Amino acid sequence: MKALKKIVTAATAAVCAISMAACGSSNGSDGATDLTYDKIELGTTGKDIKTTINLFTQRTDMLQDSYNGTTWKQYLKEFNKLYPGITVKVEGGTNYGDAALTRLQGGDWGDMMMIPTVDASELQNYFLPYGTVDTLKDQVHYVYGQQYDGKVYGISSTGNAVGIVYNKKVFKDAGITENPKTPEEFINDLKLIKEKTDAIPLYTNYAAGWTMGAWDAYIGGTATGDPKYMSQELLHTQDPFSDPGDGTHAYNVYKILYDAVADGLIEDDFSTTDWEGSKSQMNSGKIATMVLGSWAVSQIKSVGANADDIAYMPFPITVDGKQYTSSTGDYAYGINKDSSKENQEASMIFVKWMTEKSNFSTNEGGLPVAKSLDGELPDVYSEFKDVTFVEDEPAVEGEEDLFNDLNSDSELNINAAGDARVQSIVENAANKTKSYDDLVKEWNEKWNAALKTENVDVKYTTVVK
Amino acid sequence: MASSTAGTAVTEIPDNIQPKDWRKTGIIVAFSAIPLALLVFFTYLPFFNMVGYSFYKMKYIGTPKWVGLQNYIEVFTRPDTLSSLKLSLYYMAGALIQVAIALYLSTMLAFKVRGGGFFKAVYFFPYLINGIAVGFIFKFFYTRGYVFDTVLQWCGFQLDSLPYWLKDQRINNWSLVGASIWRYLGQNVILFIGAIMSVDKTLYEAAEIDGANKWQQFKHIILPGIQTILVLNIILSITGSLSAFEGPYVITTGANGTATYFVLMDQLAHGSQKVGLASAMAVVLLMIILICAVLQQMFFKYVFRDADDGVAKAKKKAAKIEKQRRKMALKNAPIVRNGSRNNKEKAVA
Repeated sequence: MKALKKIVTAATAAVCAISMAACGSSNGSDGATDLTYDKIELGTTGKDIKTTINLFTQRTDMLQDSYNGTTWKQYLKEFNKLYPGITVKVEGGTNYGDAALTRLQGGDWGDMMMIPTVDASELQNYFLPYGTVDTLKDQVHYVYGQQYDGKVYGISSTGNAVGIVYNKKVFKDAGITENPKTPEEFINDLKLIKEKTDAIPLYTNYAAGWTMGAWDAYIGGTATGDPKYMSQELLHTQDPFSDPGDGTHAYNVYKILYDAVADGLIEDDFSTTDWEGSKSQMNSGKIATMVLGSWAVSQIKSVGANADDIAYMPFPITVDGKQYTSSTGDYAYGINKDSSKENQEASMIFVKWMTEKSNFSTNEGGLPVAKSLDGELPDVYSEFKDVTFVEDEPAVEGEEDLFNDLNSDSELNINAAGDARVQSIVENAANKTKSYDDLVKEWNEKWNAALKTENVDVKYTTVVK
Repeated sequence: MASSTAGTAVTEIPDNIQPKDWRKTGIIVAFSAIPLALLVFFTYLPFFNMVGYSFYKMKYIGTPKWVGLQNYIEVFTRPDTLSSLKLSLYYMAGALIQVAIALYLSTMLAFKVRGGGFFKAVYFFPYLINGIAVGFIFKFFYTRGYVFDTVLQWCGFQLDSLPYWLKDQRINNWSLVGASIWRYLGQNVILFIGAIMSVDKTLYEAAEIDGANKWQQFKHIILPGIQTILVLNIILSITGSLSAFEGPYVITTGANGTATYFVLMDQLAHGSQKVGLASAMAVVLLMIILICAVLQQMFFKYVFRDADDGVAKAKKKAAKIEKQRRKMALKNAPIVRNGSRNNKEKAVA
């Protein structure tokens, strides 16, 4: 009986302690700063702050002195020249996505972290707003990535865009001097490569699955040049996969794949492709092109001796005489809403410095986030000078989940592990079981049925006019 | 003799005055509570939840919507669910081949064979490898110009005349079945060897004396002797082939016409987030497996209806003869008894 009493007492004490801790943390937010990102002038704002702030990041590689780029140590040294009073401690987490979520729930994660996958409505429970979307969208890119209710909770660390990885030497050997701008030119170039070199013109990486799902990334801004297409207009479009007749939209993106397979311009046995092996094959010139995001470029460069041969070109689709590419933000910096006022201000200053003054995105081969740096393209995008970068706008209010619902109902899973659908293009083209138009018809039927299930009012057919 | 010692033992053991009953109950409860709780919380509760899900249109997040039997109707009307069930026929055929090979190998290995232990290890080894690893091994095994093609080329085949093992839709399912046989054969072999070892050795001697050859020994001694294990193995293999998953999931990611029922279920549940439909598919699969198991039971009962080892029959016959003999003895018994000693002993027993 005595023991039971002791346990009850201990349990009560524990509950009290927890509830008090909860009170304590909510008290902290009273002292939140009202400083916003746009008001910070680097070098003057917060010059007298003396504090230590913590950053939790996925870039563990940059913590090592052996990193062959700019390390955290070097960035912080530069930062402290401007702000000697602010000490930044960087902590890296491997398996970052999961680790960050766990820490976020624990509450004790320091002052800054790269925002993991959190529902937009949850952002305000953890992070400090940088300001409103309206004021920030003129200063930085990708404000829609981590925003809720008109407030921005994360500033992207760098940006990515999509195109095609290719081996310059193979293209030169095949006598191709200019990048293809339309699907026809691209297919013709692949044919030339097959004819004149021993390289595989287009390596599909069919077996890995996700490498096929990557094709979905091109049907939005890249194939339409329209920042509203993916998140707003597509949701009200009937027959979105049909041929628009002008060499654009989803139809022509997937048709490149179908034609390449049907014309035998891909690897011999697509069912046993090997992603790890394909990187070194491309580096050594046995593969001419792969349709993957820009992140793949540095990986393919690093696996062999011919790093200089690997380059990135815009996707061969031209909309009204211009080429476009979708660009998206990477991990974004979030600031703890429960940190002290001083630490919050110091953190925001650091984020602004990283974005505008550190050259971080250019050093890392990404697109600059600060709009003041527009036009400064890193080497990877050297062939994107005439290409317009398109940022998708967010879905309109009330339709935030509509795209996911349509994806689920139609089982097309666009941009959401729809690997099987893109794989079926390769299968049907190789086995000549279904024509491309049959496939398009099948997808359209599924999509239209989903529109009906979700009671969407159809505003467009195939293209937005 | 035995009966008399038993009689004295009973008198020497004192009555158990310990309150033993509640202890016994307590131990039984304590020991069965944990496995029962585990079973209920991790098997039955999720299962009944899943049955519940199958009546809703739902995703992992968001409010479910009641749709009644709509999901079940869809399972039976969708073209892809039925065609994926057809793929199970490949795996069933494979399962039968697997059991046949296992029976052959284990019959040989059950007797003294040079290096028998080594071969047993060789056959069982694949079963110990992680299924995912097996998948990756076979992906390379079947890659054009890699292991399998190289071995066949040593045997005199030309590379050009060989098919694409995973690309060609006419044979890629057989390739996957091959991988599955390789992996699960060892398990069957070990089970069969165990069963064959338990057959009475003297039966072989007797059979040999009677002039039975090896095939007759197999048919009339081994086969009836391991009947239970054989039926169990076949049922497990057939039901297992209905739920084939690892091979097609890892080797081909279910693409190129190799998506079995399970792979399709995974794609629908995790790719398309149609949790209700996938749950309905799972329930339907359970029904199919139950029906298959019952049908097989009936089939084997019919097949083995008179293929027992004769022990039961002999016992029956012996009992009958004994009864008759006793009757006769009673009839022929002397009218005057020889004494009461015999009777006393009987009473104790």
